[in-house]
Amino acid sequence: MAPAYLGEFEQLLLLAILRLDANAYGVELARELETRAGRTVSRGHLYTSLDRLEDKDLLRWKPTPGTPERGGLPRRLYSVTPAGIGALRASRDTLRRMWRGLEDVLKEPTS
Amino acid sequence: MKTGDPPRLATWMLRRALPRGVPGDTILGDLIEEWNARRVARLKGSPSFRGISGATGARGFSTFWYWRQALLVVARYAWRRERSTEPAATGARSIRMSTDNFLQDLRYGVRSYAKSPSFTAVVLTTLALGIGASTAIFSMVNGILLQPLPLPDPDRLVYANETNPKGDSISVSWPNYLDWRVRAKSFDALALSRDEAMALTGSDRPQRVRARRVTGNTFAALRVAPAIGRAFTDADDAPGAAPVVIVTDAFWRGQLSADPRVLGQNMRLDGVQHTIVGVMPNGFEFPRFFFPRPHDLFVSMGPVSGTPNLTDRGNHNGYAAIGRLAPGFSVESAGEELKTIAAALEHEYPNSNSGVRVRTARLADQLVSAIRPTLLTLLGAVGCLLLIACVNVANLLIARGASRQHELAVRAALGGGRLRLANQLLVESTLISLAGGALGVAVASWLLRMLITMAPDATPRITDVRLDGTALLFALVASATCGVVFGALPAFQASGVGGQHALVRGRAAGFAARSHRLRRGLLVVETALALMLLAGAGLMMRTLRQLTHVDVGIRTEHLLTTRIQLADERYTPARRVTFYGDLLSRLRAVPGVSNAAVTLSLPIDGSNWNSIFTVADKPVPERAKLPSAAFTPVSTGYFETMGIRLVRGRLFDATESPDSPKTVAINETLARRLWPGEDPIGKRLKQGWPETPDHPTKPGAYFAPWREVVGVVSDVKMNGITSETPLQAYLPLVQEPARGLAMVIRTAVDPASLVAQIESVVRDLDKDLPLAQTRTMDQVLDASIARQRVSMIIFVVFAIVALTLASVGLYGVVAHGVTERTHEIGVRMALGADARHVLGLVVRQGLSMAVVGTVIGVAGALALSRWIQSLLFGVTATDPATFVAVVATLLAVATLACGIPAWRATHVDPTTALRAE
Repeated sequence: MAPAYLGEFEQLLLLAILRLDANAYGVELARELETRAGRTVSRGHLYTSLDRLEDKDLLRWKPTPGTPERGGLPRRLYSVTPAGIGALRASRDTLRRMWRGLEDVLKEPTS
Repeated sequence: MKTGDPPRLATWMLRRALPRGVPGDTILGDLIEEWNARRVARLKGSPSFRGISGATGARGFSTFWYWRQALLVVARYAWRRERSTEPAATGARSIRMSTDNFLQDLRYGVRSYAKSPSFTAVVLTTLALGIGASTAIFSMVNGILLQPLPLPDPDRLVYANETNPKGDSISVSWPNYLDWRVRAKSFDALALSRDEAMALTGSDRPQRVRARRVTGNTFAALRVAPAIGRAFTDADDAPGAAPVVIVTDAFWRGQLSADPRVLGQNMRLDGVQHTIVGVMPNGFEFPRFFFPRPHDLFVSMGPVSGTPNLTDRGNHNGYAAIGRLAPGFSVESAGEELKTIAAALEHEYPNSNSGVRVRTARLADQLVSAIRPTLLTLLGAVGCLLLIACVNVANLLIARGASRQHELAVRAALGGGRLRLANQLLVESTLISLAGGALGVAVASWLLRMLITMAPDATPRITDVRLDGTALLFALVASATCGVVFGALPAFQASGVGGQHALVRGRAAGFAARSHRLRRGLLVVETALALMLLAGAGLMMRTLRQLTHVDVGIRTEHLLTTRIQLADERYTPARRVTFYGDLLSRLRAVPGVSNAAVTLSLPIDGSNWNSIFTVADKPVPERAKLPSAAFTPVSTGYFETMGIRLVRGRLFDATESPDSPKTVAINETLARRLWPGEDPIGKRLKQGWPETPDHPTKPGAYFAPWREVVGVVSDVKMNGITSETPLQAYLPLVQEPARGLAMVIRTAVDPASLVAQIESVVRDLDKDLPLAQTRTMDQVLDASIARQRVSMIIFVVFAIVALTLASVGLYGVVAHGVTERTHEIGVRMALGADARHVLGLVVRQGLSMAVVGTVIGVAGALALSRWIQSLLFGVTATDPATFVAVVATLLAVATLACGIPAWRATHVDPTTALRAE
């Protein structure tokens, strides 16, 4: 099956999950996107995008025990599935193909 | 970290919207955690949160954040609540996926439209105009033609009138009606009624009321009962029965202060005391044939059913029959039965009923028959306009699809399926169609209000016209259809992008060529439709010009008219003569008045008294072929006041008196018809049947004296501008003093400025006489052609919009063609072609589309000419001069639309053009 098409935000989400690894909880994901990718995202958008990625089998999550700061409610720990890795890989390769030959045009001006 | 509780209401909303169980709890927990973290960070003065410090400020800030996020999450999740505690099953998940995709497409569409505001504005405007105009016209058609009458079971109501030997419709005679009623089995109830303008006196201000005189079974036939009191009964029809009246709800509230003890009160109508016996329910409206506004009250037949006027079988006094069909009968079978009865009556009463037949129709059809052709033609015209708007939008969408091919190709290369892309474009085009439709509803509401204001007073059922659910449904369907049908074209075209090819920018991509051909084809269609609308507008303009140039036969400027009714019993014929004499001498004394007169019937408004007649010196024709003329009692000075020319003999003067020999003045048409080639002066004619006595044989019996022709006057368009001049006979008022007359006053100054003085002159003579229908003759003239004028205005507006849309579309296509051919143009110019050559090339290409469209449009207009003919006057639907002018206009505008991009093409720099690859 051909790898699924990933929108830009979806790529960012999967990459953030991979970066955060064992710390890939919802709150941390939002913070990671904000600080590293410079994207302020509404929580509605965030969670529905995560749901969508889950529907496409590109990530999965498991519940972990909660803390008092969250009223005792559980947390989700996200991880990227092999299909998700494949999709990321495909996106990266496509972009690389598009970038090829344009280094001159896109390089930072030195002066 | 000190913990607290976030706003409970927001949390409650989240719990309701989020999935049950662990999936929802985790999300809620995240929000609570962040709320706490922000509150604490605020308190600590963390640099990432600016603004107010302090515990309250921190709490307020994080509360605001929490509410905001909560609402956004609720908005996303609310509609797809899941009740499972585990990740969803496949079916629900795929629904969620496609809904997500749809929302994504929607957001993408909104963003992309927002990025090109001028394109979006043009499309929205085009759609709003097209959908708005068609919804407005549809509302009129719906309210007037399609909606059933607001009466119970309106399809079972039948209208019937009689016809004279020539086949013209006339009203029903009372004795004939009584026989119908007894003999006909097709009706549960057969009622008779007519409109009467009556004078309501007794209070400080006399006023005219719109009354309908009805038989006792009328409300039973309509199946509507009074809300208060009782309906009329057959007993109220009996000759000499006590006069009774039923008022409408509006009249009861407006004039009688909604007095609950209104029953038994008296009203003085036309000088006769009527007792109020009922009040009709709110919302009831008697079908209107004559009055421009709803009726005020209903009066019984009792006061008139025994009068010689009504009991004479040969008199047709303006009544019409409305009947409710009995079960098992249809309009057709009822009509057949009445025809049979009429034939029998012809045998039984040959003197009065020869050649008199019956005509029946569904009541609803009868009400709107005059206006149906106009409305349907307007519906066709607005349909053309909507089609043009859609074609224009399709053109724009295709052009946009063509310019987005690169973007779409990239998406295709990145793996977006063809169906997905087509979906995207379809959603986008439906989105903008619905938005345009919503704007169109606003346009329609404004346009409809204007149309209702402009509509002639006499437009039937205009009060039933409104922007209701049906009209909104029409607008919705129209918008959705536009979006789907005309958006699908570009969608499926663009989605068939062959990835690699389109990635290479350049000319001769097969896709671009195909879309250009499609646009040209659509443009030809647009041009054809625009030409058809232009032709319609041109013909309507010619019609109106013809109408305004008809010689009416009178001088209409500076002429004031108004009606009075001397209904009171004290106005005997002798007293009426005195009254009119006093009235006229006082009127003529008013400063600013040049002349004044009175007449029974006002020109153009129509004759109020038509009668057959015989002439003394010619053989009497058979009864069915007796001539009929408009008989009009007029005062001395009438012809001078109206500007009617004397052709032979003399006008009425002091020679005429009640006791002098009876005289008559006739019009040229009558003279030519009855005495061709002879001098009619001195000839004699007599109203009525050949056997009608010429002197009273017994008191109260009907008789008609022989009258000597003393003068021939010029023709007047008595029955309206578009109808042919009738035979006219004028009688001296002193010998035939009618009760209800129109005053005509020729003024030296603005007629409107003298109204108050004229009212006071009448009031001085009789304070209980209300004036009615006070207007200038010019206004009467305008009102008579109001329908054609409104139709013309609508057609012209449609045609201008259509021409604008078509020329803008043509400009767009030609300009696009120039852009596509920039390289070719550069080559040509580099090879030595001059500006004129390039100009000619571009213009020829553009005009070829316009010419093809024009030819198709002319063919279409000629094919449909039959439908518009009934709206025209003085010009045929295939009038060559109009078509030539319209074609010339269209081609001129088209040339301009092509010329601008062509002129720009000549300024192409060959070197730049050659480089553009």
